[in-house]
Amino acid sequence: MNEQAPLRIVLAKVGLDGHDRGVKVVSRALRDAGFHVIYPGLWQAPEAVVRTVGDEDADWLGISLLSGTHLTLVPRIIELLKAAGLDHVGVLVGGIIPEADIPKLHEMGVSRVFGPGTPMADIIAYLRSEGSRTHA
Amino acid sequence: MLSDLLERLEEKDRLALARLLTLISRGEQLADINTAIGARNETTPVVAITGNAGVGKSTLVGKLAEYLRGEGKSVAILACDPESPLTGGALLGDRIRMPSRPDDAGLYIRSLAAASGHQAVAEHVDLMIRLLAKFGFDVILLETVGAGQGDTAVRELADVVVLLVQPESGDELQWEKAGLLEVADVVVVHKADLAGAEKTEGQVKELLSLPGSREIAVLRVSSRNGQGFDKLWSAVVASPRHGTALDGRQLLRLAQQLLADRYRARGAAAEPILDRWKARKLDESQAAEQLLDLLVR
Repeated sequence: MNEQAPLRIVLAKVGLDGHDRGVKVVSRALRDAGFHVIYPGLWQAPEAVVRTVGDEDADWLGISLLSGTHLTLVPRIIELLKAAGLDHVGVLVGGIIPEADIPKLHEMGVSRVFGPGTPMADIIAYLRSEGSRTHA
Repeated sequence: MLSDLLERLEEKDRLALARLLTLISRGEQLADINTAIGARNETTPVVAITGNAGVGKSTLVGKLAEYLRGEGKSVAILACDPESPLTGGALLGDRIRMPSRPDDAGLYIRSLAAASGHQAVAEHVDLMIRLLAKFGFDVILLETVGAGQGDTAVRELADVVVLLVQPESGDELQWEKAGLLEVADVVVVHKADLAGAEKTEGQVKELLSLPGSREIAVLRVSSRNGQGFDKLWSAVVASPRHGTALDGRQLLRLAQQLLADRYRARGAAAEPILDRWKARKLDESQAAEQLLDLLVR
């Protein structure tokens, strides 16, 4: 295993949520931390996100949601990841998620939820400590 | 592990394809993969799309892929974006401008980070191309980081090089600069819906008609209104293919890549040489010789 190989992370905006400032800030911070960030843009269908994760052989998927649709879209994506044989890909959620919903997302298989005001260093440290299950 | 991946590749497993591309991009198990993939399937055209930043490479590649899907051809895209020379990080955003066809098995898009100084495309792209051709794609599109002096490598990797220029991008002398037009087999004046496209087309044609120029098709394409893609593909098909000529440079390039991989893998062993060089106990060529000895040993 080449230890210097950068982690590949797909950052995704799903559904009709058009607020992409947050995901752009995270994209840049992860890029500057040495990650390879794949950002396919706004208004992605869950199926398109899963196709991207598979074709790009990503280690992580970060889903940004500010539209309140997390309890609908996140389980759909996780279900599609499993169906595509991609359950080794770690899933993160960022954005506006009510406290009460966080345990539900964890139960569905989300590794971590990063809310507003999360220091970038926390996300970077988390990803570095977890590493990759795709390329274990 | 590798044999399992290669077996799944035979069964057209996209995840195996994706994983093999990752291994190649990381320079892992190159020799074994090389042997398993074998020589390139010569019938699959490899088309490089190059041009300056902002000229519309990703957009054109995406639209061309849609056009080719409409013609019933399966397409694989290797899209290169730059990697930071400082951190190794990269923001790979070419997919934004490419079609999203999640149920279409005939389209594969892979984003690649190209290290600076690696000639406008990612490392080991030649092996990736052979892998994609073996998988069975009808056409392989290679999008470069941008045009410039690094494009000679692209010319060796691809059968046909399409250079994009756009209206209002300088006077005709801009095209005369070395390294730009000379790599091209087809020149596309992109964004042809904008004013000035015809003038730019005329300027490029005039330059290319100077005595001593090669036959190069020049045509206008607009990704906004979809105009010109049929002509573009006809020009690509009609262009004499060059990428497959075997010469020593290909081997030299592979040897250089292997050397770079070894350096990365055995960085620690090189430390003493680097230290002596930094302390000026060795001059640069002595240090380079010793490094070479260490890596070749």
